[in-house]
Amino acid sequence: MKILTTVKRVTDPDMKVKIKPDGTGIVTDGVEYKMNSFDEYGVEEAIVLKQNHGGEVVVVSVGPSASTKEIRTALAMGADRGILVETDAELDSDAVARVLAEVVKKEQPDIIVMGKQAVDSDRNQAGQMLAAYLGYPQATFAYSLEVADGWATVGREVDGGTSTKRIKLPGIVTADLRLNEPRYASLPGIMKAKRKPLETMTPDDLGVDVTSKVRVIKYEAPEERQAGRIVETVDELIEVLRNEAKAI
Amino acid sequence: MADIFNPTPEHKALREMVRAFAEKEVGPQAEAHDKHETFNIELFRKLGELGLLGVTVPLAYDGSGMDATAACIIHEELSAQDPGFCLAYLAHSMLFVNNLAVNGTEEQKKRLLPKVCSGELIGGMCMSEPNAGTDVLGMGTLATKDGDDYLLTGEKMWITNGAISDSDLGDVFLVYAKHEDRDGRGLSLFLVEKGMEGFSLGQKLKGKLGMRASTTAELVFENVRVPAANLVGTEGGAVKSMMRNLAIERLTLAAMSLGIARRSVEVMNQYAQDRKSFGQPLNRFGQIQKYIAESYAEYMAGRCYVYNTANELALDAMGGRMDSDGVKLYCSTMGKNVADRAIQVLGGYGYVAEYNVERLWRDAKLLEIGGGTIEAHQKNMTRDLAALERLP
Ligand SMILES: Cc1cc2nc3c(=O)[nH]c(=O)nc-3n(C[C@H](O)[C@H](O)[C@H](O)COP(=O)(O)OP(=O)(O)OC[C@H]3O[C@@H](n4cnc5c(N)ncnc54)[C@H](O)[C@@H]3O)c2cc1C
Repeated sequence: MKILTTVKRVTDPDMKVKIKPDGTGIVTDGVEYKMNSFDEYGVEEAIVLKQNHGGEVVVVSVGPSASTKEIRTALAMGADRGILVETDAELDSDAVARVLAEVVKKEQPDIIVMGKQAVDSDRNQAGQMLAAYLGYPQATFAYSLEVADGWATVGREVDGGTSTKRIKLPGIVTADLRLNEPRYASLPGIMKAKRKPLETMTPDDLGVDVTSKVRVIKYEAPEERQAGRIVETVDELIEVLRNEAKAI
Repeated sequence: MADIFNPTPEHKALREMVRAFAEKEVGPQAEAHDKHETFNIELFRKLGELGLLGVTVPLAYDGSGMDATAACIIHEELSAQDPGFCLAYLAHSMLFVNNLAVNGTEEQKKRLLPKVCSGELIGGMCMSEPNAGTDVLGMGTLATKDGDDYLLTGEKMWITNGAISDSDLGDVFLVYAKHEDRDGRGLSLFLVEKGMEGFSLGQKLKGKLGMRASTTAELVFENVRVPAANLVGTEGGAVKSMMRNLAIERLTLAAMSLGIARRSVEVMNQYAQDRKSFGQPLNRFGQIQKYIAESYAEYMAGRCYVYNTANELALDAMGGRMDSDGVKLYCSTMGKNVADRAIQVLGGYGYVAEYNVERLWRDAKLLEIGGGTIEAHQKNMTRDLAALERLP
């Protein structure tokens, strides 16, 4: 089975995000970059699929040349080869999906496993858009995945509970947090990753125009939350909710 | 992307992996093991799964084939979360595993390295004795030749990983001993394994100030019969291998101080922004600024010295001696001072376990003593410096 998985280089989610004074972007000085944490679940699942079914795991990233670091991390975890579609452009999810669609057409994987969203912009769109561009079935927010006889059975996190969906492969699965426990890239894995193939191409090579359809006007920090307050009685709670918070 | 702290992409990837692992799995267990003075052997074995226990061991013996810089990265990152746990790692991976990988015979390496790289066996190194520490050549443990074997008699003190619990001995040790019929400078190195007759746990030491998540033990040798196959290197020729291993030991001990310093700077820097006094964050006060800024500068100075030395150190070569003493001399006291300032910046909150800096401060003190006292470093360095007319 050929499994394609994707990784995005994102700013370290554990660091405090600071917005530039003029609101045109976030401050990137001294910021550390990491693999998007949802992608770690996707990569882990891809490796588990390979362990159970044999085959090959191909890991793809679309982004700046520094994203080779995140691809190498996936290779160190156990993926077999990498593809970087290199661009310094500001990408929206649609551009990423169109680039990935061309990679999928070239690679013809049996299944595509992605993170459900990226923890930097939290847009939660690339997987769904990729499915639309390819005309493939999709199962998002997966907490479990079984593959047999050309079908994937996917347990999904949905509002208010879970649901199970079966999709015919090739198809797209996006990973949620309960799907697995991503492994660490072991030190021998890191050393092996150095010698695994990593192919670089550009959106132009794939014939994709990545000009963004989404225009960012301004970044703004959310309003600071007020400290909580403990009220003495239910009556007081109702009175505060009605007259101060105007919530009821 | 190359910088002296992460000279290759593999070093960078290693640092990221160890940091993520340490934050998630090492940090949360630190306080409990400090409190109860226990060694977390399950967590230790996970280091084996990650390929960290044999970081400097060639691939052919199931190691990871990396260098002194990689060893520093691992020590710095583990120590930022739990110096006590990291000390157990150091005693195993540097004092036993690396020592055997550099100095052992082919048979010894084939037989033991895979098992210590996986963590199946826990190792340590025995140099110090109840009556000989800094004056290491004054040791009293004797090796007497008996046919093809040696008989070992004596006591070793302060042995990290000497015990894995209150009553259980560690598994394998490299033990330095003297020969009666040789002059005082001839030492030999022996592999002593749990189960050899006459080899026992004297006591697991209790009540240490810091480094309480690592065990420290007194080990007793009563006519322990050690086969010639367990002699490491040549008879009487162990001073060289001892010096060679001391270099990586001191370097990685200095890297542990870096981890302590970095964590302490992070803690005081954050706290001084969050905590208000007289209507202002603490970091608006000049005295607090002095603590924070000087700590950072000293930490970075130490960090540059450590990685500069590590990047130059070949594991199998002699030399680099002055700077392996120098990095530990500087960083051990630096780490202790920085942890001390962190406590001061936090005031009462620094004095209790919640913010970790009181534990880091207690752990930091050991680094001025273990692996050579700061006075020993001063002595060695001044002797070596006296031979130099000019500095490069
Ligand atoms: C937690 C812990 C773990 C340890 N782990 C190990 C281990 O795994 N293996 C191992 O072999 N050892 C280990 N040690 C021992 C450690 O290396 C020794 O404690 C250290 O070398 C100092 O020796 P000592 O304690 O005998 O002190 P001493 O050598 O008696 O020194 C006492 C004081 O006198 C000073 N002094 C001594 N000689 C001189 C001199 N010539 N000039 C100036 N000052 C001098 C010293 O600097 C020190 O201040 C460990 C120690 C501790 C506390």
